[in-house]
Amino acid sequence: MNTDTYAIKANKLYKNFRSYKKESGLIGSINSFFNRTYVEKSAVENFNLEIERGKIIGLLGPNGAGKTTLMKMFTGIIVPSSGDLSILGHHPWSREKEFRQKIALVMGQKSQLWWDIPAMDSLELLQRYYEIDGQSFQKKVKKMSELLQVDHLLKVQIRKLSLGERMKMELMASLLHGPEILFLDEPTIGLDLIAQENIRKFIKEYHELNNCTIILTSHYMADVQALCEDLVLIFNGQKKYDGNIHDFEKILGVEKNISFTFKKPQTFNDYLNQFDPKWNENRTSVSLRVPIEDVQQVGVTVLQNYSPIEFNTEKMPIERVMKTLMEQPELLDN
Amino acid sequence: MNEAIKWVKTIKYQWTISLAYRLNFFLEVIAPVLVFFFVQYNLWSAIYGSDPNLMIKGYSKTQMISYFGWTLIVGMISRGHMSGNIAEDIRLGRISAHLVYPFDFWKYHFANFLGFQGIQLFIATITFSVLAIFDIISPPSFIHLFSAVIYCLYVSIFWFVIQFLIGILAFWLSETWILRVIFNLITAFLAGTYFPLEIYPSWFQEIMKVLPFSYIQYYPVKIFMGDLSLLPKSFLIISIWIIPVILITKLAWSRGVRRYTAAGM
Repeated sequence: MNTDTYAIKANKLYKNFRSYKKESGLIGSINSFFNRTYVEKSAVENFNLEIERGKIIGLLGPNGAGKTTLMKMFTGIIVPSSGDLSILGHHPWSREKEFRQKIALVMGQKSQLWWDIPAMDSLELLQRYYEIDGQSFQKKVKKMSELLQVDHLLKVQIRKLSLGERMKMELMASLLHGPEILFLDEPTIGLDLIAQENIRKFIKEYHELNNCTIILTSHYMADVQALCEDLVLIFNGQKKYDGNIHDFEKILGVEKNISFTFKKPQTFNDYLNQFDPKWNENRTSVSLRVPIEDVQQVGVTVLQNYSPIEFNTEKMPIERVMKTLMEQPELLDN
Repeated sequence: MNEAIKWVKTIKYQWTISLAYRLNFFLEVIAPVLVFFFVQYNLWSAIYGSDPNLMIKGYSKTQMISYFGWTLIVGMISRGHMSGNIAEDIRLGRISAHLVYPFDFWKYHFANFLGFQGIQLFIATITFSVLAIFDIISPPSFIHLFSAVIYCLYVSIFWFVIQFLIGILAFWLSETWILRVIFNLITAFLAGTYFPLEIYPSWFQEIMKVLPFSYIQYYPVKIFMGDLSLLPKSFLIISIWIIPVILITKLAWSRGVRRYTAAGM
């Protein structure tokens, strides 16, 4: 196939990091000062990926799985140890100017804007770097800042903004040049629920209007559910799932999530314990993962023996699927 | 054209930052003169004592104090820039953003350096005026002054490249602070910041003539003090040294950036 239909193509991508072991304490420090043992850690292993243009992809995995390493390779910040990678037809690590004009990266954990100057000054600096003409720049800033409700904050120093406000500025800054592909690394981390929702809505609308490719990492399943049609799951540097979000929900089989609330703390019998109960702290409410054919039996058993004050059945939330997989990654191996 | 605008905008940004903190800027302007009077002037006055005819290594008291007055001014222009930011950008991962922006990391820092030099020239002018008013230094003719300043600016580019090189050693070493301090201290001694080079033995002075250090400060001071004939040779020596330094820096950059792991982002 022609590379043009793909925004990202990775083939047998590897990235290893070398670091040295350091024992704890002063003695340990002195020891490792003279005697250094290096450890090679592979952050990404044999990673193959094809992403079509215009899609929003969620890149999921626990901390340290290699998501950020992948993002850094995709944006050309770090160089893969081996394998082939093509982003919009470029090798990102060559960092051609043309390539850099086409991408944008937002890191929730790290500010990219200049700390000591007002947001508007940062945006103007970026306007020059990306060679955006004055009129369309003004228009974009006005429109986006109004949508994100930060138009009154453009003249405030970045350091004086709240995390949510700063994140909105970062997002705006990354979109000024109309990137063809946008990398969002945990854009909603640490934000309150309203700000998270604002940002999600904004990204969604932006994508509908501009149809750019978006790669998103997040630990919040709400982000993923609201934005992504497709998911890529990564564990220990290896790709474990790559496909549609609805198929992902059924990855553990067709199961339902049933939850009950009780007046008093409860303990279940052996029959109910086989459905992976997740209790709240004071054991007054529980949720069970139940295969579709057992739903009726489980419902009857609980209603008869434990007199719940409330119960509720729903399809498995993606959050629960994700949590189960993180606790038992071996489920994905078969 | 677009490229030039990027540079101009970055320089303006550097100025915005410098002026953002008023007290800090004010101190930057007046501190050098104050330190000069408190330290150098008093120190050398005490060393020379009350004997008006005492000569140290060929310098009378007035000449010695004038030497240090010019050293102060030359130092501001030729070796004022420090690489702290560059190492810091790498260590804290701020360089990641610059690897993504379509304006290279070195260009960003060089433009910052140019902005910084603009401010240094301003401070140097103030310092020059104060020292001239107090008769510490005697101003040369305009042409003389002009060519010496141009030379100092040329040296400052050489100095920038060296500082950039030391800064990007942060790709290999997680902490380059001590290395920078040692290097800057040694350079200061070899460049004649603390003593005129005449105090060194003559064989050592011969070696210094081919190394770049003395051309960073000692020779420009001599030029300001009247010896314009040193100018062509000084230009030549710096031009010879700047080439290998640029090549090494380019090599170090291309190696270093491949090692970069963007830790902590």
